[in-house]
Amino acid sequence: MYKKIDLSMEFLGIRLENPFILSAAPPTDEFDIAYNGLKAGWGGVILKTTSVEGNSVPLKYPMMSSFGSMSRKVIGLGNIDLISGYHIDEIEKRVKILKEVFPEKMIGASIMGAKKEDWQTLVGRLKKAGVDLIECSFSCPQGSMGEEAGRMLAQSIEATEKVARWVKEAAEDTPVLIKITPQVTDIVEVAKAVKKGGADGITASNTIPSLLGIDINTFEPYPSLFGKGAYSGLSGPAIKPITLRTIAEIAKNVDITISGNGGAFNWRDVVEFMSVGASNVQFCTLPMHYGFRTIKDLKRGFAHYLSDMGFNSPLDVVGKALPNIKSQDELPSPKTRAELVEEKCVGCGLCYSACSDGGHMAIDWDSEKRLPHFDEEKCVGCAMCMQVCPVDAIKMNEKIENSNNVHYFVEKR
Amino acid sequence: MEEIEKTFSKEQAAIEAERCLYCYDAPCETACPAHVPIAEFIQSIRTDNLKGAREIIQEAHPFIETCGRICPEESFCQSVCTRIKMDTPIKIRELHRYITDNTDPSENLELVPATKGKIAIVGGGPAGLACVRELRRFGYKPVVFEKKQLGGVPANEISATRLPEEIEKKEARFLQHNFVSEIKDIAIKSLGELNEEYSAIFISTGLSGELNLDIPGNNLDGVYYSRELLKRAKSGFRLPHFKRIGVIGGGNVAVEVASVLKIEDPLRDVEVIYRRGTKELKAFKKEIEEAIDLGVTFQFLAIPKKIKGDKRVEGLVVTRAHLGEKDTSGRRYPVPIPNSDFIIPLDAVVIAIGQKADVYFPKVEKNAKGLVKVSDDLMTNVKGVFAGGDIVRGASTVVECVADGKKAAQNIAKYLEGGKNV
Ligand SMILES: Cc1cc2nc3c(=O)[nH]c(=O)nc-3n(C[C@H](O)[C@H](O)[C@H](O)COP(=O)(O)OP(=O)(O)OC[C@H]3O[C@@H](n4cnc5c(N)ncnc54)[C@H](O)[C@@H]3O)c2cc1C
Ligand SMILES: Cc1cc2nc3c(=O)[nH]c(=O)nc-3n(C[C@H](O)[C@H](O)[C@H](O)COP(=O)(O)O)c2cc1C
Ligand code: SF4
Ligand code: SF4
Ligand code: SF4
Repeated sequence: MYKKIDLSMEFLGIRLENPFILSAAPPTDEFDIAYNGLKAGWGGVILKTTSVEGNSVPLKYPMMSSFGSMSRKVIGLGNIDLISGYHIDEIEKRVKILKEVFPEKMIGASIMGAKKEDWQTLVGRLKKAGVDLIECSFSCPQGSMGEEAGRMLAQSIEATEKVARWVKEAAEDTPVLIKITPQVTDIVEVAKAVKKGGADGITASNTIPSLLGIDINTFEPYPSLFGKGAYSGLSGPAIKPITLRTIAEIAKNVDITISGNGGAFNWRDVVEFMSVGASNVQFCTLPMHYGFRTIKDLKRGFAHYLSDMGFNSPLDVVGKALPNIKSQDELPSPKTRAELVEEKCVGCGLCYSACSDGGHMAIDWDSEKRLPHFDEEKCVGCAMCMQVCPVDAIKMNEKIENSNNVHYFVEKR
Repeated sequence: MEEIEKTFSKEQAAIEAERCLYCYDAPCETACPAHVPIAEFIQSIRTDNLKGAREIIQEAHPFIETCGRICPEESFCQSVCTRIKMDTPIKIRELHRYITDNTDPSENLELVPATKGKIAIVGGGPAGLACVRELRRFGYKPVVFEKKQLGGVPANEISATRLPEEIEKKEARFLQHNFVSEIKDIAIKSLGELNEEYSAIFISTGLSGELNLDIPGNNLDGVYYSRELLKRAKSGFRLPHFKRIGVIGGGNVAVEVASVLKIEDPLRDVEVIYRRGTKELKAFKKEIEEAIDLGVTFQFLAIPKKIKGDKRVEGLVVTRAHLGEKDTSGRRYPVPIPNSDFIIPLDAVVIAIGQKADVYFPKVEKNAKGLVKVSDDLMTNVKGVFAGGDIVRGASTVVECVADGKKAAQNIAKYLEGGKNV
């Protein structure tokens, strides 16, 4: 029997059945879809960003585009969506019903406004409807305060602090998350502003402004609407490394609760997000791509991981990697060299190509035996060869001088 | 007739191409007799640069439409693919075919003006045509003597279920149009027939003959020879009324003819009768599998003794065998079991036990089997007369013959230009 691990946890005073949340996006934009997601086992939802009646949301279709390798089409997903077309009246009703049907799940809602009055009205009405948490989209391209049209709210430190304060004022004891964009000069300053404004936490982060692609025959941008296109918000696996850095940078510098979001695609990503400081993880592109059934593997994979590692709760992972993230100049200077594990080598010669044309010409190629030979003198230990080896037959070592001790640097993915 | 194997879809090609490691000094390329830069053309598939991929293959290999379909990759490139050490080899030939099926021949091969001498190419099969193309690229004027139809065995015999006519026509037409200076439909049987006009000669007449099966009854009605049958099948002839046909032999030709007969009439029984065991079958695995899928059956360890019948074939008397020691071919030899004769009832018998050379060119030295002897540079005992392909190797494969043609062209140029490497 495998050990059973309880995935439930406390988040900003809310009990989460598991740390996997459907983020404010298409999977939470229709009542039935959000309902199905919760039924499928997701720990909570944040209903797609709503606004006041006066804010019209002119959507354009087709809305999605993707990029990937030839056989895997969606490594990055781009969308030209806006916030929900449903206004607060409708969302209010949904919150009430969902809370009734799923009292044990977290029902959150996302909002966006232009004026102080809008933000506070939205908060007031959601609060009354019984929402567990309010997330504010400070990272929609149209999420300005009116006077700074076109700019994302979270790109302004002052505006971030000011609007966060308005929202928290109205929300009182209902937890507030501010969803930011990674597209800023200094993410730490933004996070500090969120904290100063009094919000309870940060959702780090939203999609990343991008241009998904160009049709090389017609020069139309993707997604192309009769030949014309616009910049997209990029989500999915392609942005995970950026999100990881964003979360880590906030966690290292600001004492605030973080909900991770952007590029998580499996339970392993969840562990990574949490280890750099997220308390839970939101998902959008994964369920959009493969459906709500993905929750099963998320829960099982994460639980087995926790048990195998001897952890008792998801929260045990939070921040575990942070002490190891340093600046480049703080790093030790080991003398590394590449070393071949001959039994594993399949003789593809990729290490040779890489080192000859992009390393330090430290590998000789034995074409008879189809084996690389590493020249310890020339090798600087850059590890490019290790990256390209398809079978992990190259290890980086540090030979401690005048001793037989060898330390190996490994990357296990 | 419909082709048995289907070409890769774009999705299949993409997945397969991405599995390729893009090996340095790729072993697949070394194992390909024509040395096609496989890693490079696969990389071009990955970027959807199919025309570029064709140029890469075509540069190295003149017979690419044909080889994309029928090259026995399991004996060449695929057999050494690095990926074998990880999981399964890349389906190289299928990717190769994906390219040829989705692009037209490229005329981008660099051609210098044809200012050098005329070279006689006797036999316009894969070896001859490969030699033609290379010679033309070096500036020679290749004149082809072909007694039948340009293209050799692939054009005339290999069944349309594996190599549709339009494919090998596309190939031969392209080569003829771009590289052949002149084509003469004459059968050349001695060097004397070729006048002084030619600076050098390349003999590539292939193996046109077939080995006889020396048993009683081999002249009855209903006894056929495999290659004759394949040639007729390729030009539309059918063997309609036979319900039970036995094919004697264990090579590719036997398996191929059995498949063709089964496709012709799926309701008839077609049995390959072979004197050794499964392991000793010479035919390529893939073709055996295809034949089995079609419903061809195999009778192993059965030595034909006599074809039974009055005027017409009624059956085949065979002796049961067991496997003895290895013979000179390295395969275990069938030893007859006394008193074990039995009869396989049949309406027709096809003999497919091997090919042989027609003996032409009296001055040219040959071995006991009638195959032309050549030195390392493919020159015969007669100066300036080169030879390659099946007439030198015995029954081989298209790609090996192509390699010979290329190599002969190199050596002819070297010979004529006083040892200079071209
Ligand atoms: C039934 C069959 C199936 C095969 N299947 C495959 C396969 O799947 N894959 C593979 O790689 N190989 C296969 N092979 C083998 C392959 O076809 C041969 O190895 C190859 O065709 C030999 O090429 P070549 O140029 O040496 O001779 P050939 O292809 O035999 O060409 C010789 C040419 O010379 C002409 N000729 C002969 N004598 C004269 C003369 N005196 N004057 C003028 N012209 C003459 C002939 O008409 C012919 O066109 C198969 C062979 C057979 C018989
Ligand atoms: C089509 C689409 C619409 C989205 N709409 C919203 C939205 O209305 N409000 C919001 O805060 N985020 C929105 N997002 C962003 C997602 O909530 C999420 O932050 C982002 O997709 C990154 O996470 P992922 O990589 O798991 O998809 C949207 C994303 C997509 C793909
Ligand atoms: S670590 Fe860098 S320098 Fe050393 S062998 Fe590998 S690629 Fe070359
Ligand atoms: S890349 Fe890896 S498998 Fe390939 S030759 Fe180098 S060590 Fe061997
Ligand atoms: S050996 Fe296999 S994996 Fe390597 S380049 Fe050739 S086809 Fe690709």
